[in-house]
Amino acid sequence: MSNYIGKSIKRREDNRFITGKGKYTDDLVLTGMTHLAFVRSPYAHAKIKNINTKAALAHPGVVAIYTGDDCGNFGVPCGWQVNFKNGDTMKEPPHPLLAVGKARHVGENVAAVIAETLQAARDAVELVEVDYDELPTVTDAKAAIQPGAPQVHDDVPNNIVFDFQIGNPKDEVNAAIESASHVTKLNFKNQRLSPNAIEPRSYIADYDVNADKYTLYTSTQNPHLIRLLMCAFVLGLPEHKVRVISHDVGGGFGSKIYHYTEEALVTWVSKQIGRPVKWTSDRSEAFLTDAHGRDHVTTAEMGFDDNGKIVAFRVHSEANLGAYLSTFSTACPTYLHGTLAQGCYTTPLINVDITAVFTNTTPVDAYRGAGRPEMTYILEHLMDTAALEMKRDPVELRRINFIPAFDGVNQPGYQTQVALQYDSGNYHATLDRALEMLDYKQFRKDQEESRTNGKLLGIGFSTYIEACGIAPSAVVGSLGARAGLYESGHVRVQPTGKVSVFTGSHSHGQGHETSYAQFVADTLGIPIDDVDIIHGDTNEVAFGMGTYGSRSLAVGGSAIMKSLDKIIEKGAKIAAHKLEAAEADLEFAEGKWTVKGTDKSITFGDVSLTAYVPHDYPAGLEPGLDFSSFYDPTNFTYPFGTHIAVVEVDKDTGKVSLKRFIACDDVGNVINPMIVDGQIHGGVAQGVGQALLEGVVYDENGQMITGSYMDYAMPRADDLPFFETDRKVTPCPHNPLGVKGAGEAGTIGATPAVANAVMDAISHLGIKDIQMPITPERVWRAMNS
Amino acid sequence: MIVQGRYRILASATDVWIHLMDPEVLKKVTPGISELMPLGDDKYKATSKIKIGPVNGSFEGQLELIEKIENKTATIVVNQTSKIGNVSAEIKMHLEAIENTTEIVYQGEAKLSGKLAMMGQRIIGGVITSLSKQFFESLNKEIINS
Amino acid sequence: MQIKVSVNGKEHISDVVPMMSLASYLREVLLLTGTHIGCDTSSCGACTITLDGKAVKSCTILAVQADGSEITTIEGLAKNGEMHPLQSAFKENHGLQCGFCTPGMIMTASGLLDENPNPSEDEIRHGLEGNFCRCTGYHNIVKSIQHAAESMK
Repeated sequence: MSNYIGKSIKRREDNRFITGKGKYTDDLVLTGMTHLAFVRSPYAHAKIKNINTKAALAHPGVVAIYTGDDCGNFGVPCGWQVNFKNGDTMKEPPHPLLAVGKARHVGENVAAVIAETLQAARDAVELVEVDYDELPTVTDAKAAIQPGAPQVHDDVPNNIVFDFQIGNPKDEVNAAIESASHVTKLNFKNQRLSPNAIEPRSYIADYDVNADKYTLYTSTQNPHLIRLLMCAFVLGLPEHKVRVISHDVGGGFGSKIYHYTEEALVTWVSKQIGRPVKWTSDRSEAFLTDAHGRDHVTTAEMGFDDNGKIVAFRVHSEANLGAYLSTFSTACPTYLHGTLAQGCYTTPLINVDITAVFTNTTPVDAYRGAGRPEMTYILEHLMDTAALEMKRDPVELRRINFIPAFDGVNQPGYQTQVALQYDSGNYHATLDRALEMLDYKQFRKDQEESRTNGKLLGIGFSTYIEACGIAPSAVVGSLGARAGLYESGHVRVQPTGKVSVFTGSHSHGQGHETSYAQFVADTLGIPIDDVDIIHGDTNEVAFGMGTYGSRSLAVGGSAIMKSLDKIIEKGAKIAAHKLEAAEADLEFAEGKWTVKGTDKSITFGDVSLTAYVPHDYPAGLEPGLDFSSFYDPTNFTYPFGTHIAVVEVDKDTGKVSLKRFIACDDVGNVINPMIVDGQIHGGVAQGVGQALLEGVVYDENGQMITGSYMDYAMPRADDLPFFETDRKVTPCPHNPLGVKGAGEAGTIGATPAVANAVMDAISHLGIKDIQMPITPERVWRAMNS
Repeated sequence: MIVQGRYRILASATDVWIHLMDPEVLKKVTPGISELMPLGDDKYKATSKIKIGPVNGSFEGQLELIEKIENKTATIVVNQTSKIGNVSAEIKMHLEAIENTTEIVYQGEAKLSGKLAMMGQRIIGGVITSLSKQFFESLNKEIINS
Repeated sequence: MQIKVSVNGKEHISDVVPMMSLASYLREVLLLTGTHIGCDTSSCGACTITLDGKAVKSCTILAVQADGSEITTIEGLAKNGEMHPLQSAFKENHGLQCGFCTPGMIMTASGLLDENPNPSEDEIRHGLEGNFCRCTGYHNIVKSIQHAAESMK
């Protein structure tokens, strides 16, 4: 029986947040704590000829100053190796904690100043004299691979990190496109985005000289991974003497997955000075140094036969990875991107070809969706554009190309042309429901009318699929991942029957403390208040791979389920002994073991107490009720859905207003509908941001000119309407909870829906395409040229 | 960033040239400048304070006049550093005598870095235009009053 | 410089450096860390508090400017152990996820409802223009404020 699963239980973590009692890293103050401020490169590409710290060191309150000469041999690694098509290893130049010899992007750490107060550190930063020799810069991926382009790293010819291909042989795909009866071809720019979690990154390191132990408080999405990378690959520290704590984290969206140079640096500095040291990013630093997302330049073509069936799809992109390889940067434009090219269509021939490139820009990595929004935009924008070109209805065009429904149990999973095997799907179902919510016929009537009164209505569709719940370790390992992608889940039943759950999934807004407690309480048949969820501390939690790729519940939740199974199994042995019955005659429901067909039973609490006070106890059975498990998934999970955007374009100003946004998603089983809806809302808002507002811009010298909230436009409350959401449920067939993941779906689905809606509104004026962000200026120019 | 414009000064090219080459005059007419110290060879150490919208800083560095052809043309090379970022610019000026007046046509490129580029770029084009206007207006006044 | 302020009903006399922002004063001197700092340009609204009854961004006010004023922060919103209707509404309507923008959102909303107890959806959305939330898409924040307005009648 479900007392909690499927119900919108209010979040227990909210109490501390709504009263101002959240504990974010920057809120902490340690005794004797010093403050660190960075000297950052004002140039996108420059030789560092000399650094003079004399005046800065003499500044009152300054404790120490470090440069690349002091710790330049320490560098952060890349977590995923992608090889060139010819098998050569990708180019992986060192990524030092402080620049050595050269700065390669604006904002790169050049020196670290540590002082008694933040103000003293900042003042002393101004006194550090750095003698730079400016070098030519390149910020655009296409420009960077041209002969003669400035070299970001000396030993990386043409700035190419690797080239990559996935899908069917290129000549077969090319031939099919050439003989197709209709080909839709578009150039795309998935523009560079800044993730912008509202909490800036913050780190405090505290080295205890007596115990020779380190504690790092960090705003990260995966404390164990940070500890592993920092100990094993950066600083060479003994892992058992390093504790990483990540309390409340104010949003991540990918940007707090990575092991940043600043994180390792504060840890190293704390030992050098023998005192705690804190660094908190300001917003300008966040724009310059938090890993960015997207930045692909693409040409893609889709070939159709006379009946509108897709015969082939090919994609060629340059992916800008920035100046250095961030932790998962290499996976984003490859295995998290090319593998999505099937969409929910039966396309028989697919080829995706990617060149990854260094430029003099901030490193690029996974940002909500990570490679999948880029591909979904390409695929879904091509579908709506093709429908317009072929004068077909975009809904019908999708229907004739959909993969038929399959549940992964009675029907097998769907093998794509791009390596993945989808677990289960029913793409018509979410489309049907979304259309019902919309009233499509009425919309087309309204649209006709709108064209006569200067307001142009448009509708855009996106029937997306995504791959999340990352992922089977063996599979990702064979593809170059340098880590496993399982999760740990530890359940400790206390003698009084109260339950502490330790999970490696970190929560930074997703509400794990509530939704995890819901399924734990239901599985054990106990009140939810008897369950506590603990995360974010390497000393408490056995291990963890962290939260990203919409994996928490699908992977982390499954690990906990495995431990719960073990607890129920052991509990049954104790119960059988106490009830003097055979284990096979017992059933466990609603928190008690009952001898089938009788009223003889024993509660979970009594069994727990017996396990810890084992006076009358099964022979040979260990005391205690405490299990830890690791869960390694057998496949990714594949949520999908239909998003529909309705926009109104002002004929005079080009301003696009989002009038309606309809989302019918299928994320498998749902533990807490309120939280899932919230994830979709937030995801959609970020997807709308890419379509209409956001974009990082560099000038011709590599200076970022969108480095503040006055220049980088993010969605505000009055840019968005209420979202209309609903769900269909096709359970995941391969994990115990049947869940698929909901964190990224909104972002992946929304962007093309909005972009398509704008084109639907204005294409009758002869406009073929507008690149994102679709600002009023771009629309106005297109309408007036 | 391209910097360009023209300004008519109500004096002869010779007069304009003499004033332009006089550090005391330059110090007086250049907006924000507080110090202009000759270093020889047409090089000066320059200190200035400029407020551009939300960006506000003290600049220090060199100003140099090169490619000088008397009464006709000169190029100003500026390299200034500040806490909020650095500016480097190279601006060519042509003096053209038109009857009793002189038209100054200037064209060049300015490069910004650091916070100045990040926060100031959006508005700095307009600021440079208004600073240039201020400069020539003051120069005009200075020449007429001399 | 010495300042005297009343924060959440309690008087404080403190010596502060002239350039200390009010946000830093609240966080570092009074240890009221519920007021957050999310940007340097008073654009994100995470630091919003009420100063003499008006919602303001405390990152761009100097502590010395607040001398003699009455300040309410998120920590002072609940009265006698009873949550403010906005706090309850945010929880009830899932108006927060990571919680970082939440104190600023709630304080802005309290200023908004003080001025306009019956705001329309549009008025609420415009009232929140100065506050960023990256998690919720504002959907449930607007709902929370609508519900709070209803319950405060």
